[in-house]
Amino acid sequence: MARVTFRNVWKKYGEFAAVKDLNIDCPDGSFLSILGPSGCGKSSTMRMVAGLEHISAGDILFDDRRINDLAPKDRDVAMVFENYALYPHKSVFENMANPLKLRGQEGARIKDRVTQAAKLLEIGHLLERRPQELSGGQKQRVAIGRAIVREPKLFLFDEPIAHLDAKLRAHMRGEIKHMQRTLGTTMVYVTHDQLEAMSMADQIAVMHEGELQQLGSPREVYNKPVNAWVAGFVGEPAMNFLTCEITNAGGKLMLTHPDFALALKPEQMKCLNGAGTAATVRMGVRPDALAISMTRPAEPAITGKVFVNELLGGDMIVEVELADARIRVKTAPEFAGAPGEACYVTVNRDKWHAFDAVTGKAFF
Amino acid sequence: MTDTLLSPEPSLRQSEGLFRVRQLLDNVEARPAPSLIAEPAKLNPPPSKAYFFWLMAPAILLLACISLYPFFWMIYMSLHDVEIGSATWNNFENFTRLVTDTRYLKGWTLLFQYSLMCLALQIGIGVFLAVVLNGSRFEKILVTTLLMPMMMAPIVAGLVWYFLYNGTFGWYHWLFQSVGLLDAKSILASPGTAMLGIVLVDVWQWTPLITLITLAGLKRVPQDQLEANMVDGASPLRNFFSITLPNLYPVLLIAVMLRFMDNFRFIDSALVLTGGGPGNATKILPIYLFEVSFKFFKLGRGAAIALTLLVVTIILGMILVKVFDRQQTRKS
Repeated sequence: MARVTFRNVWKKYGEFAAVKDLNIDCPDGSFLSILGPSGCGKSSTMRMVAGLEHISAGDILFDDRRINDLAPKDRDVAMVFENYALYPHKSVFENMANPLKLRGQEGARIKDRVTQAAKLLEIGHLLERRPQELSGGQKQRVAIGRAIVREPKLFLFDEPIAHLDAKLRAHMRGEIKHMQRTLGTTMVYVTHDQLEAMSMADQIAVMHEGELQQLGSPREVYNKPVNAWVAGFVGEPAMNFLTCEITNAGGKLMLTHPDFALALKPEQMKCLNGAGTAATVRMGVRPDALAISMTRPAEPAITGKVFVNELLGGDMIVEVELADARIRVKTAPEFAGAPGEACYVTVNRDKWHAFDAVTGKAFF
Repeated sequence: MTDTLLSPEPSLRQSEGLFRVRQLLDNVEARPAPSLIAEPAKLNPPPSKAYFFWLMAPAILLLACISLYPFFWMIYMSLHDVEIGSATWNNFENFTRLVTDTRYLKGWTLLFQYSLMCLALQIGIGVFLAVVLNGSRFEKILVTTLLMPMMMAPIVAGLVWYFLYNGTFGWYHWLFQSVGLLDAKSILASPGTAMLGIVLVDVWQWTPLITLITLAGLKRVPQDQLEANMVDGASPLRNFFSITLPNLYPVLLIAVMLRFMDNFRFIDSALVLTGGGPGNATKILPIYLFEVSFKFFKLGRGAAIALTLLVVTIILGMILVKVFDRQQTRKS
């Protein structure tokens, strides 16, 4: 087990910088998820930790030891690959035993450890099979098994459940999280799926175009995104963005849009200092911070027309058409507005955000 | 209009017809589907066997002329005492005499020696070169350069090396001698080293083939497995033996098969270099076969030797194919 620290880490492929000046501190035993779309540098980051890529600049430390120049085998990490990377010419048992064998463990102990890991992952009955005789989910378990037979300093999981079907993926999320808690080993988990990151991690590092956007707990990243990009990437359905102007109505700052004008709370006004009045901002509000009704509510509301309803079983997503945009609202499945009808959307002003229209930086 | 389209003209291909019917049904009000859609497409009556026979007849005839006729003629010769213009039955004597023919038996031993030495060196050096060259900076240029020996006619290669080995003016001879590997005699002139002499030429000429095949194989070694093994704790050398090599097996088996069959058949360079000498030190079986048939004109005995050579080649080839098959089924 180890604490992992990234200190000003860069990865360059020729002139192209895949990872730019990355600084992350991942405490011992915690679960760090690196989240971002494809090409954001998250896999390069993980491969640098594993020793599969050269670190162009900066340092990676395990506890306080710099590991930049160590060979992969000397870093004492265990990695699960996106496509599992099982050895096709070896049986499941041999696949799982490989890391132990390579570290010169004796036969009895290997057998012991592999059986134990197989039991934990419920693949005990598959040990004699070869990888090509397994289903995707089973392969994935074997790949995880190969990682946990040892007690490595660090687990590196590179989108390990991306290729499973949705139901199995939901199941494995829980399993992996539970396993990590049980073993207490530090985990770096790379994913492009914000749901995986949100549901599993202690800390999420959101990356975009090689740069770390935000590092924080899932709650922080969801509730207090540092910029519009993070706000838009995290959360499903995605956050609604509307371009608004700040207007001053008798000392009260309002966010004004062709369809509505909503007053800011006093503490939010403070956050806007510098933006001044008559500046353009992007208002961001998640679908679950909106409420929809067919009758005009007492408080100020956005008026629009129902565009389309999507029933998701327990929830309903209503897309509302405004003058120049559409917003999505999460509501109860009983909502009965038909497309084309006028409706009123109220905003939970504790949960809305304003972003700089140019830089995307969050005011609140 | 609809009715004509629902029963497409016979020239229309079935699938096209169905497609047009479906298109039409999308526009027409819902009504019971016409039976045409429910009916599975009828197959044409299968062509008769005679049809297939006539299709293949030209190929079979050609094969018979160029391959089967000589083959059966060889069997015929091997059972007879063949003189020019006559052949007399001799009660399998051509075969029975082989059992006591020491030069024939020695020929086998030498052939296996020669073949195994060639294979071992070619595979060893070839794979090593491939691994070194793979992904290197000047891979393409280097590989092209390396392939040059292969382009040379074996008999020319034999002649070139004959001069290089020459005891009086051969450059390699001088080289070997000056580093103390050889005494005054040419490598081909002493029975102890002559075999090595012809092996080296074969290795020089055909190692590039192994390199080429291995390079192709190396490109297909799954990178992720190599990486997984590295993280699991393997050193680069260990990684090579536990991941790269198993993935190369099928490719190497093909290479071994090609090369061993060539070694059993092609004697051009060896014939030019030593002609089986000195003494009988390099008289591998094909050279002996050549001598019996075309120097002593014992065509019957020659045919018998050739037949035994053929049978052994086929058996060894089949064993290799079996091994190869097993590899493939294990993989997939």
